Amino acid sequence: MSMPPRSRTGSGPLLAGLIIAAVVLVGIVALAAAGATPASVWNSFFPMHGTGGVTDRSTSVQNLYDIVFYIAVVIFLLVEGLIVWSVFRYRRKPTDTDLPPQTHGNNLIEVIWTIVPTAIVIFLFVASWQTLNTVDAAAPAQVNVRAVAAQFQWSFDYLDEQGGTVFTQQLPSGEAGGLVLPVGEPVHIELRSADVIHAFYVPKFLFKRDVVPGKDNTFDFTVEEPGTYGGQCAELCGSGHAAMVFDVHAVSRAEYDTWLTDQVAQANATPAPAPSGEAAGPTIELEALNVAFNTGTLEAPKDAPFTIHFKNDDNGVPHNVEIKDGGGAEAFKGDIVTGVTETSYAVPPLPAGSYTFLCTVHPNMTGTLTVQ
Amino acid sequence: MAVDTAALTAAEPHGQAEAHGSGGIGNPVLGMLLFITSEVMFFAGLFAAYFSIRANFVNPATGAHEWPPQEFEHLLNPFTLFTESGALNLIVPATIILVISSFTCQFAVNGIKHDNRTTFIRNMSVTIILGITFLVLQLYDYSVLFGEGLSMSSTTFGTTYFTLTGFHFAHVFGGVLMLGVVLYRGMAGQFSGRHHDMVEASSLYWHFVDVVWILLFSILYLL
Amino acid sequence: MATTTLNPAAPAYRSTLYEWLTTTDHKKIGIMYLINSMIFFVAGGALALVVRIQLVTPKNADVVGGLVTPDFYNQAFTMHASFMLFLFVIPILAGFGNYAVPLQIGAPDMAFPRINALSFWLLPLGGLLMASGFFVSGGSAAAGWTEYPPLSSQLGTGTDLWIMGLTLIGTSSILGAINFLVTIFKMRAPGLTLFRMPILTWTVLVTSVLVLMATPVLTSALIMLFIDRNYGGHFFDPNNGGNAVLYQNVFWFYSHPAVYIMVLPAMGIISEVLPVFSRKPLFGYKAFVFATVGIGALGFSVWAHHMFTTGAVFLPFFSLMTFLIAVPTGVKMFNWIATMWRGQLSVSTPLLFAVGFLSMFLIGGLNGAFAAAVPVDFALHDTYWVVAHIHYVLFGGSVFAVFAGIYYWFPKMTGRMLGEGLGKLQFILMFIGFNLTFFPMHQLGLAGMPRRIADYASTAGWTELNVLATIGGFVIALSTLPFFWNVLVSLRNGRIAGDDPWEANTLEWATSSPPPPYNFDHLPEIRSERPVFDARHGRTAAH
Repeated sequence: MSMPPRSRTGSGPLLAGLIIAAVVLVGIVALAAAGATPASVWNSFFPMHGTGGVTDRSTSVQNLYDIVFYIAVVIFLLVEGLIVWSVFRYRRKPTDTDLPPQTHGNNLIEVIWTIVPTAIVIFLFVASWQTLNTVDAAAPAQVNVRAVAAQFQWSFDYLDEQGGTVFTQQLPSGEAGGLVLPVGEPVHIELRSADVIHAFYVPKFLFKRDVVPGKDNTFDFTVEEPGTYGGQCAELCGSGHAAMVFDVHAVSRAEYDTWLTDQVAQANATPAPAPSGEAAGPTIELEALNVAFNTGTLEAPKDAPFTIHFKNDDNGVPHNVEIKDGGGAEAFKGDIVTGVTETSYAVPPLPAGSYTFLCTVHPNMTGTLTVQ
Repeated sequence: MAVDTAALTAAEPHGQAEAHGSGGIGNPVLGMLLFITSEVMFFAGLFAAYFSIRANFVNPATGAHEWPPQEFEHLLNPFTLFTESGALNLIVPATIILVISSFTCQFAVNGIKHDNRTTFIRNMSVTIILGITFLVLQLYDYSVLFGEGLSMSSTTFGTTYFTLTGFHFAHVFGGVLMLGVVLYRGMAGQFSGRHHDMVEASSLYWHFVDVVWILLFSILYLL
Repeated sequence: MATTTLNPAAPAYRSTLYEWLTTTDHKKIGIMYLINSMIFFVAGGALALVVRIQLVTPKNADVVGGLVTPDFYNQAFTMHASFMLFLFVIPILAGFGNYAVPLQIGAPDMAFPRINALSFWLLPLGGLLMASGFFVSGGSAAAGWTEYPPLSSQLGTGTDLWIMGLTLIGTSSILGAINFLVTIFKMRAPGLTLFRMPILTWTVLVTSVLVLMATPVLTSALIMLFIDRNYGGHFFDPNNGGNAVLYQNVFWFYSHPAVYIMVLPAMGIISEVLPVFSRKPLFGYKAFVFATVGIGALGFSVWAHHMFTTGAVFLPFFSLMTFLIAVPTGVKMFNWIATMWRGQLSVSTPLLFAVGFLSMFLIGGLNGAFAAAVPVDFALHDTYWVVAHIHYVLFGGSVFAVFAGIYYWFPKMTGRMLGEGLGKLQFILMFIGFNLTFFPMHQLGLAGMPRRIADYASTAGWTELNVLATIGGFVIALSTLPFFWNVLVSLRNGRIAGDDPWEANTLEWATSSPPPPYNFDHLPEIRSERPVFDARHGRTAAH
């Protein structure tokens, strides 16, 4: 039994064309409905929506990406074009009863389409190697920070010239936390793992490096634009992997100096006496386990102090409870405690309203506190 | 249902165990060579780990780059007859026994190739006995090492030693079983000068096991 | 030539189930490989839907939120990948090899039929062991299918079950490879020289060499991990002389060749389908052979490109080798297009899936080139860009080729044709769903979304693309329905196929559909790589 010759002018290409048109149309409509513009669609093909990186090295990474991208686009259009063309142009017609020419091959063309791609990839390799030398270059840095990755939070040790720790930033993110760095000068980062493999990744740096236990990776860079840049662990490290976020705050040298001095002073100052007196008001229960609170909703009475009895069941992981009002201002911040432990937070009276409670160390741990 | 009886009766009367396909080495022998290749790659992975670990080793107790770590320094010296605590050190005799067993194994193969079943059975039996002796001596050696405090968790020195020698032990054990089956089949008259593929295949495996031991011994004990 | 008519055909003296459970016939074993693999494809797909539902929107406002706990989420993507790679892609291609290779070389069966059966039965056993992790305390393996220590050393019994299951699956592969190599080298019909073998057989040959040389190294990595986990070993423990990156080196030394194990036979299938449906020979047969061997060899030299960000790799060498491996792959792509060029294409389902393969694998190859550029990889590693890449090559590539193969060989296996309408429906839905799911992942990776996270911030700007990807996931799931329906209906009522419904080229089409247990009543003269074509067109002179 043989295949009947298919009609070239039959419904096939029409149907295919209609389906393709329908899909494209639906696609465009959906994109438009989601707020996409041609510009934003184009930008989505480039790192960080086309805004690129913010370090002295990220520009060369962007440039390398662009080179690879444009070559890839040309190759894609050419090859895909040939594929699509072949399928439409060379469909079997009813008049095609004889076999087509049974071409077995062509040595010359094999040589050509081996040598040309080899040349292209060698070019890409050389471009990539040169960029690598830029990205991995050491730079003499005055600011030396050790980023410590643990399950499931980052902390940052600011080091002096001898490698001793001047100050440890325990809060990996937020306005009062994060990796604060001066803009415009080289920074040296050392990576240390307290347990498993993690990875230090700041998308706006167009860079990441693994944090490997037993091997302290290091790298240098200069942040060129002031701002706050989100970072995140990029190597699966367990159940709290998604919680290991951090912020990089790139500020002026003067601000950096002031900040660091303040932090050192605060750390050295005698801690304020713990609020005395028994826990006042009603007690609400809250637990943290597996880098998550056990509930997303809490209620408390308005205009009266109350207590949060907080159980941190995550062994070795620091948590706390912080309360922010509707505008994002801090209403209360409890001390950070490392599990497994319990503590009671005496929360001052809060006016009625809807608040957010979260863990300062792991801000993905959040919920809603209704005060009424 | 029409059947081409001529094609059926012309089919190869013996099973695939005797298939020599397009000539040259038999299928079981080729299969065994390929299997041995895969086992070589398995040991290659373990050896790669060993060399990588050894090259970068820092003794957690002393902080020094030393291999073996100081506390286990004399444990793997093959040339002392007695260890420091007075136990017999039989690793060299064990090695010699295993090497001899490869020779007796080959004599067995040569015997059956020449249709000499007596030579085959005698040499194969000796091979198996020597193989078992090696296993016993290896176990004894392990007990001595445990007594000296070397275990799987004695830094990576212990881990690599026991893993490498342990898997070799497992391969020798499997080889003894295989040779045992071959001996049994030989005694039941299943092999002859014309049909002895499994004897050849098993002997190749036995030689492989021997070569791995020589490598292991040289690397773990001598290097 | 004497003929005897057996009338009626001798009845089976064993039940059909017993027959299948104890068979050593490569054709039945091949079909069982296909069935077992499809079962794990569905299981792996279900786990993928769990992942997609979890990620459809961020849930930080709802702290208990999400479909599953982060712990279970880690198990879900770990087992999704483990099922898909080890229990679906690799075995189903081995299954096609099992079915087709002896037929294509004119042999009555594989060299070692009983070991062939063992190879098969190790698969459901290994799969069950792996899957049983879901039912033990602590759940299944959950450190990714890559199971890097120290994380994988920390987790519970599910990881041990994963290790043991995978060791059995690896053994199945290695035994299969030995079988294929001996069969191909020793049991080819007279006249079937190596350079007249079908390309599928060539790819199975090279793949078997890869399996033989690489899989044992995986076994060694698994055993070292098992020893670290259970016997106080320190292979990967930096506090006692070990090295966490050592695992990655040993693991990827296997797992990179493994991806060629997952794609070369798929390319072989495409190389069977395209010539038949273009009515032309494969363009550049020898180039295909050399390219296949080249990919296999080069494939052993690139493993550390999975480890560029560890800081422990000699970057320029691995970057160069990774770029170079694009060349033989490109040669194949051009030769496939040249096969279609000036042909007479029948746009049936096998061809559609083959063309889908070409388009999607092209994208997968191109986005892989970005990762070969080390500094770009620093930005894209462990982000959704990589998830896009792996799915374009494995799903758009291998899975599409698998469906091409199913539609192509189903008639040979069962004697009936699969329905074209349902086949085309499946293709359209699967093509759309696949691209809808995975194309946005390029954008997500470029926008900084890491892999293997159970949740993400609502302020990250990743939500819309995740919604698209989840919708696509359900479209893919939908697309499997016409396929399964097609199979069920066609088994009973499909059009009778006959020996050679496609006017094909290779020896499996020279016998009945399905073939008799001994495969061939008689073989045509073999004078080229297209013996059936030659016989059909009366060509017996060598060319």
